[in-house]
Amino acid sequence: MMAVEGVVKRFGAHTVLDGVSLTVAPGEVVTILGSSGSGKSTLIRCINGLEALDGGRITVDGLDVSDPRQLARARRLSATVFQMFNLYPHMTVLRNITLAPELVLRRPRDEVEAQAHALLASVGLAGKADSYPGQLSGGQRQRVGICRALAMNPRYLLLDEVTSALDPEMTAEVLAILGKLAARQSGGGGTTMLFVTHEVEFARRISTRIVFLDQGRLIVDLPTDQFFAADGGLAHPRIRQFLSKMAPAAPLAEIPA
Amino acid sequence: MPFDLTVLTPHLDTLLAGALLTAEVCALGIVGAFTLATALGLLAVGRGWAGRLARLYVDVFRNVPFVVQVFFLFYGLPEVGVYIDAFWTGVLALGLVGGAYGSDVVRSGILAIEPGVVEAAKVSGLSRLAIIRRVVLPIALRTAIRPLGSVFVNLVLSSSILSMITLDEVTGTARGVASETYRPFEVYAFLLAAYAGLTYAVSLGIDALHRRLNRHMAENGAAPGATHGVMGRTA
Ligand SMILES: Nc1ncnc2c1ncn2[C@@H]1O[C@H](COP(=O)(O)OP(=O)(O)O)[C@@H](O)[C@H]1O
Ligand SMILES: [Mg+2]
Repeated sequence: MMAVEGVVKRFGAHTVLDGVSLTVAPGEVVTILGSSGSGKSTLIRCINGLEALDGGRITVDGLDVSDPRQLARARRLSATVFQMFNLYPHMTVLRNITLAPELVLRRPRDEVEAQAHALLASVGLAGKADSYPGQLSGGQRQRVGICRALAMNPRYLLLDEVTSALDPEMTAEVLAILGKLAARQSGGGGTTMLFVTHEVEFARRISTRIVFLDQGRLIVDLPTDQFFAADGGLAHPRIRQFLSKMAPAAPLAEIPA
Repeated sequence: MPFDLTVLTPHLDTLLAGALLTAEVCALGIVGAFTLATALGLLAVGRGWAGRLARLYVDVFRNVPFVVQVFFLFYGLPEVGVYIDAFWTGVLALGLVGGAYGSDVVRSGILAIEPGVVEAAKVSGLSRLAIIRRVVLPIALRTAIRPLGSVFVNLVLSSSILSMITLDEVTGTARGVASETYRPFEVYAFLLAAYAGLTYAVSLGIDALHRRLNRHMAENGAAPGATHGVMGRTA
């Protein structure tokens, strides 16, 4: 379980997260929605220990991420996929994927490489193991980013706007992969996901729960169907406003004016 | 007198020994400079006292003439009981000054790294040391290696000053042979060629390292930037 309890984060005088609480239980796919600047990335960065907290507590399976020793252990339980991919530019695709499993989890090289090849094949990149990130398209790079995260066999997967830097076609490629990953959840035992996205329709399809961040406050935390119900999430003007901006055309019809 | 290299024949052994000594002192000095540049460059990025100290070191060594540093090490230190022979004084001096100049280069290479790449390494649980060794340095050095090469070439040139502390390196040897033979033209032509050869060897080494560190960019003639351009859609 990932537990965020009353987290406060400030940058100077600016309070970016203002008492955010959220739990993600194993097997869940939780989507964070919220307009740009609402603090979604900062929340993810607090969970994976890239930002120090100014208040509150975050634990991953009981490990407090504010404690360096516990953070090191927590980081073996979760993996992050980034908006800008953040692949290691000087390493082959294969090495990008095998580096941490080998060095951090101390798994044997052959085993990790076999898994990496299998992961690459599963995302349609079987032939790219020896390429460098610079030789790949954005969509391909992000698929490598997903493989790199999955090779850690993480219990928790953090994804921060992983398709925002991609064009619609590449977005579709990547979402298809994430959709499959999320579908595996229902069987249990798979990867739990905390997902920041602007792809509202996609979030609606794969999430078990949706939370809404508004100016650093988590104003709604509901099961997906209730989030989109007129007397649920849509009862909030901020959310209605957000959804009407985010999801043009089709979804609008379902949103009561 | 016509240009006649055969006048050097009786002194060739001495001259070559000098060139060899220069090569040795420079090779060791470059190794030291590279090590120190890397360590100082890493430290200088930090905001704490270690970073300030590293930057202070760099300022001090860059703002004192090389010959003064050499004299201080060779003639000054014995006054306080520290004796280092001419050869190792040379290695030390070249390492110290090369480390100062080189650390600035390494530091800017580190600062130019995409922060997200290092963050990816952090969240994957890699230790600080592993991040430095596997991610930060290889990326920083691929841009830093050429300017580091210039620093190393300059070290070879500066090493001529070491003749002033009784080291029988090639410049000092050549001066001796020139005054003995009264054939400065041939002798200094040899000296020119010797330095050109040494610095060329340094450049070749740097080129090889540069190719190796940048192998991911050269393949198919397509740099990452070019891929961006072709795809025209990645951010
Ligand atoms: N390192 C930082 N320093 C200062 N302000 C920051 C920093 N990171 C984020 N912010 C600010 O925090 C707010 C939330 O940012 P972010 O978490 O990136 O929002 P989101 O991901 O929801 O778009 C924004 O106003 C942003 O400008
Ligand atoms: Mg963001």
